[in-house]
Amino acid sequence: MALEPFKESTPLTMGVELELQLVSFSDYDLTASSPDLLHLLAQKPFPGHVTPEITESMIEINSDVHTRHSELLAQLHEVRDTLVDAAERLNIGICGGGTHPFQKWVDRRIFEKPRFKEVSSLYGYLAKQFTVFGQHVHIGTGNGDNALFLLHSLSRYLPHFIALSASSPFVQGGDTLFNSARLNSVFAFPMSGRAPFTLSWDDFANGYFAKMEHTGVIKSMKDFYWDLRPKPEYGTIELRVCDTPLTVERAAALASYLQALCAYLLDRKEEAPAEDDYLVYNYNRFQACRFGLDGTIVHPKTYESLSLREDILTTLRRMDPYAEKLGGGAALNHLMQVTHMGSDAQYLRDQFAASGSVEGIVDAAVQRFRGRR
Amino acid sequence: MPDFLVISADLAWPLAVLLAWLAGEFIHRWTRLPRISVYGLVGFLCAQAFPELFATESGNPVIVMANVAFGLILFELGYRVNLNWLRVNPWVAISGLAETFATFAVVYLIASAWGVPSMTALLLASLAMSTSPAGVLRVVNEARSSGQVTERVLHLVALNCVLAVLTFKVIVGFWVFETSGSLTQAISLSAIELVSSALLGAVCGMLVPAVLRHLGNLAREGTLAFALVVVILVAITHATDLSPVLATLAFGLTARHRRVAFTRTQRNFGAIGELLAILLFVFAVSTLSWDNVVNGGMLAFVLLLARFVVKTAGVAAFSQLSGIPWRKGLATGMALAPMSVFVVLLLEQTKNSGVVLVDELAAVAAMTVFMEVLGPIITQRALIWARETSKEV
Repeated sequence: MALEPFKESTPLTMGVELELQLVSFSDYDLTASSPDLLHLLAQKPFPGHVTPEITESMIEINSDVHTRHSELLAQLHEVRDTLVDAAERLNIGICGGGTHPFQKWVDRRIFEKPRFKEVSSLYGYLAKQFTVFGQHVHIGTGNGDNALFLLHSLSRYLPHFIALSASSPFVQGGDTLFNSARLNSVFAFPMSGRAPFTLSWDDFANGYFAKMEHTGVIKSMKDFYWDLRPKPEYGTIELRVCDTPLTVERAAALASYLQALCAYLLDRKEEAPAEDDYLVYNYNRFQACRFGLDGTIVHPKTYESLSLREDILTTLRRMDPYAEKLGGGAALNHLMQVTHMGSDAQYLRDQFAASGSVEGIVDAAVQRFRGRR
Repeated sequence: MPDFLVISADLAWPLAVLLAWLAGEFIHRWTRLPRISVYGLVGFLCAQAFPELFATESGNPVIVMANVAFGLILFELGYRVNLNWLRVNPWVAISGLAETFATFAVVYLIASAWGVPSMTALLLASLAMSTSPAGVLRVVNEARSSGQVTERVLHLVALNCVLAVLTFKVIVGFWVFETSGSLTQAISLSAIELVSSALLGAVCGMLVPAVLRHLGNLAREGTLAFALVVVILVAITHATDLSPVLATLAFGLTARHRRVAFTRTQRNFGAIGELLAILLFVFAVSTLSWDNVVNGGMLAFVLLLARFVVKTAGVAAFSQLSGIPWRKGLATGMALAPMSVFVVLLLEQTKNSGVVLVDELAAVAAMTVFMEVLGPIITQRALIWARETSKEV
């Protein structure tokens, strides 16, 4: 079956997906409660969309399509409050964070849905290890060529989003010394990493995709776990490298930053993307995961070493006029604060030091998601 | 030449525990039935085959160890109970109160109609209110279950235990009054015992986290410290005729709510907890005689059936109101089936105050034996039916 045509969309519209953790208040471990929570939520209208994820300890929420930061944030607030109220009735805590700090993957249960069962039978324990939590941001691109242009142009800015959203320093009870350990779990999948380099949607659909489909390795775009991937059925590109932040405010800010960056890139004032940009891609990605805002990246065109924090600050300032036009000024201010105050990963480490336990981290994350800390 | 009988008596308990463990492992692997059901069966058969070898006098180390094992389980249960949930979703607590008191009423009415004397019927009814934390928690941990049925069963078990102990002690107070003649002495003794036990546990629940916090390394010291204090609590309550049930449960509850978020206590308290649990389940039915089981068998069967129906219906009636589907409500009620270990230990502790009830309550002996084997199986099936267990069960 050929790849469906790229749907025409309004450029620079945005939507957010957040994968969230379901935590038992009995012991702060993940709890296999998504069927229970989804049952309860189904009894009333939900201010967005909520769907199950691969294991029963996670859910995913989606916003509607928005053009302005304030509208997106208002909806995410409403979604969060509805979720927290329902979850409390079931003794469940809800929180962000890219990983649960001490859950054991072996305890997870795969959600009863054919696609999840298929993934589980193909990938074995990797499916349960995929109990990690990410934020996906969709940006409308107008057409397929624009989508691929943006996808490859953004590869240079990918470390920004990793470092700003990083919230997964702990895995299986220990500090990994990474700021985002979540992406290491994603990297284990054979269809992960970067998309192949082409700037033409026709070439992508009729060349690369058709060949891959012919090999039998993939059946649809869903089988690719790329950091950035085109989403033809929505007419968007989807950024998938962010950890789920601890607050919806940060989630909305990251989406608006991506929206402003896309507006800037579509002005085509930068040198066009090239295959060689990917020479430093994995290294920069690693630096952002490992050291977060303190990482050092290499510019793909000039090969100059840059402090990631400085590069983010410079870019945020350059995005100001675009953000102002799109109504995202407050979002950039929020991210400016993050570069000064530290990421969620730093916050979680501070909580570990203060409470002395990994349960203390989860408790803090649950409170922070509610907006009470 | 050493006396063969003395050696046999010394070896009886360790061998019974070993036999129970082996049988539990084999039968669990073969049938997937809960191990603890097998432990109970082995204990009952051993005690019937060699009654003189398994006779336990008050103060026997086996009873002390069984009490410690039960204390550890109660602590773990208390540690997992979130009182705030009962405030946020009061329907959970209301369903618990309804099924507990409905069970009391129905069992009392049936026993009275059967011709059981009023005081005995009241005691039977109060014992039937309870659900055994040992049976439920062991099955939950063995099945690695999680979800609404699991959460609710744990909270309802704690509620059942507290209400059953309170009711039982008040009725025993009246029993004492009937024999001693002093009403105030009987009531005040019960009341003082209950309040002191809960207070003792609560104080430990505040002190231990504070000390642990001071020590720093919560992850490593937590389990050991909690286990040690449970042992001490059991010893104190044993020496002072207080209630180890209330004390250890209150200890777990307070420790949890005082901790901010302490490290997760090792499930089942690790290998030592496992060992003590086998002893507990073997011991629980070894105190019962076959004659009592036969005498009380018919009444026990009727009462157990009534208890099962009332508890299941009582919880299910509130399921929609409390936010879960009927199916999960029914499963929660069914999972409350176990009651044996709790009942046996409560009766053992009552012996200390000179009230020997097991012989009076032949039906209790039969109920205990049935439910020691059947109770955990029903809980396990309810969790499987609710799709809350890991696939390995």
